[in-house]
Formats: sequence, structure tokens, C-alpha cells
Amino acid sequence: MTKGIKIAGALCILFLCSLRLTGQVLPVPLPGGDIIQPFGLFNQFFPGVGAGFDGLNADPHGINNSRTFVAMGYTAGTATDSNGKTYNVITDIRVYQGDYIGAVPTYGAGGTTSAKAHGTFVEI
Amino acid sequence: MHDFNPSITPNGVFWIVQIPDNAVQITGDTLTIHLQNIAVIDQLHFPGGTGNAPATVSFDITYTKSGMPRRVRPTSSDPLSPFTWAGKMWMATNTGTFSAAYNDGSFAATGSFSSSGNFGEMGTERNGSFAAENDDAVAKLLPSEQGQTGVGVSQLVGNKNAELRSDLPLLKGRVPIKGFPLRTAP
Repeated sequence: MTKGIKIAGALCILFLCSLRLTGQVLPVPLPGGDIIQPFGLFNQFFPGVGAGFDGLNADPHGINNSRTFVAMGYTAGTATDSNGKTYNVITDIRVYQGDYIGAVPTYGAGGTTSAKAHGTFVEI
Repeated sequence: MHDFNPSITPNGVFWIVQIPDNAVQITGDTLTIHLQNIAVIDQLHFPGGTGNAPATVSFDITYTKSGMPRRVRPTSSDPLSPFTWAGKMWMATNTGTFSAAYNDGSFAATGSFSSSGNFGEMGTERNGSFAAENDDAVAKLLPSEQGQTGVGVSQLVGNKNAELRSDLPLLKGRVPIKGFPLRTAP
């Protein structure tokens, strides 16, 4: 009887250990990106033509292993604060919606497992 | 100077926030996004230095594509290259309004912006392990899985006969043009 309980316990532990921890599938960044000295690598490219841009067909995405709709654009504008002070505004807001393969925390100790997910992300 | 962003994640994803699918609506040639009270920080000394102020931003933006699409093909096998992805892209403009406020109420601002004269694009993309798939995979994905109305595959992928092939890498720069999203400078 005791042996049976031990075997059942071991099986339960084995089963529980085989379950993937549920949670958000975290997107992973592009492996490449622009190097901004002295700060280092930013995992992001800047599509566009002309000095300072990475080229018309540079990857506009911020998430690797993705299959999504993407929209982006550089803008300029103005803002006014609650004291009436005005500011110049520059934005680069990108939108991604679709599938991606990200990472799910697994087994603790910082381990992850690849997982496919669907999601919408905005880069601000 | 103010720089509102959601920070870089510990694994390096740049300034990204996951939002509900229905915050984005794709209809015909336009994509609209409506977000309220997204938690960010005002990075007071971007891109370096210290000092952040917890804040929220809200904005409404409409992206509008125009012209003929161009088909992008991977032109590099170097995973660090910006040219390892595939897709179908249109040039696009966008306009929007926004508000930003510190959580402690000590600062708030509203404003508007436009991409007029600046680069913008929208379309479908595959990168990383998806880059080798065919374009139809993305076309099938979007309307059916978004659960949204008013968008058709043909509207997203455009007229195939009107494609403008442009898969050659052009310039490659290292200057932080992006650097300052939603930044306001006195």
C-alpha cells in the first residue's frame, strides 16, 4: 500500500512537472537593431530613405518570429500643457497585430518554452 | 524634454505594450487605434540618464495607406540584418491626437501630430521563423482571426497586378532618428 502511494505521488509530481505554466506569451525582440552610442544596441530598425534611416525595406517590426499586420510612421506636431506652455512633438508609434512565436516562462529558474500566440501590440 | 515610453522589456523588446485586439480597427485602406490611459514613464533624460516619472498616455491615430504595394523579400541571411523579412507594404500617412499626464497630477498635456512629409508604411509582414512562408499565410490570418468587421483580404493585400516590386536594400544608417517618440520639447 505504501509503495502504491509513493508511486502515485511520483506520478502526480511527474504529471505536474510536465504541465506548462500558463501565462502570457512574451514576445521576443529582433536579434538585430541599431547601435546608438554610447548606449549600445536597440533592438529596432528605422525604415526610411535618407541619412539616418535604415533603408526603405528595413524591418519595421519590433517583435521577432511574427506574422502580422504592421503600421508605422514618423510624425511631428505640437502639444500644450496645463500651464499653456507649448511643445514640439515627435512620434514613431507602430502597431502590430497577428501571430507570433514568443516565450512562456517554464519550470522556473528563468527557463522558457517557445509558444505561438495571437496578439496586438503598440510601440509607443 | 519629455519622452513617454513603456520602457524596454528585460529581454530587449523595444517600447511595446500589448493591447486588446479591439483597440485596433482595420477598414479598407485605414487602420485606427484608440487607447486610453496606457501606463508609461516619462524618461526625463532619454536615451540615458536617470529619473523617470510614472505617467499615462491616451491617443487616437488613423493610418491610411496609399498607392501601389511593394513586395518585400529577404535579401540577407544575416539574422542581425534589417533585410531578413518578407511582406507586402504600402506607403502610409497617419494623423493623431494624444494626451499625457503624470500619475501625481503635476504635469499634463494634449496635442496632435501628423506624418505629413515623413516616412510611413503599413501592410503585412513575416519575419524570423515565419519569413519563409508565403504571403497568403498572412492574408488568411488577418481578417479571420482578428474578429473584426469591415476588412477584406483583398483590401489588405491589394491588387496583385498592381504590385510594385521593391526588395532591394537601400540605405542603412545608425543615427537614432526614432529616438523620441511622443517627446515634447520646450
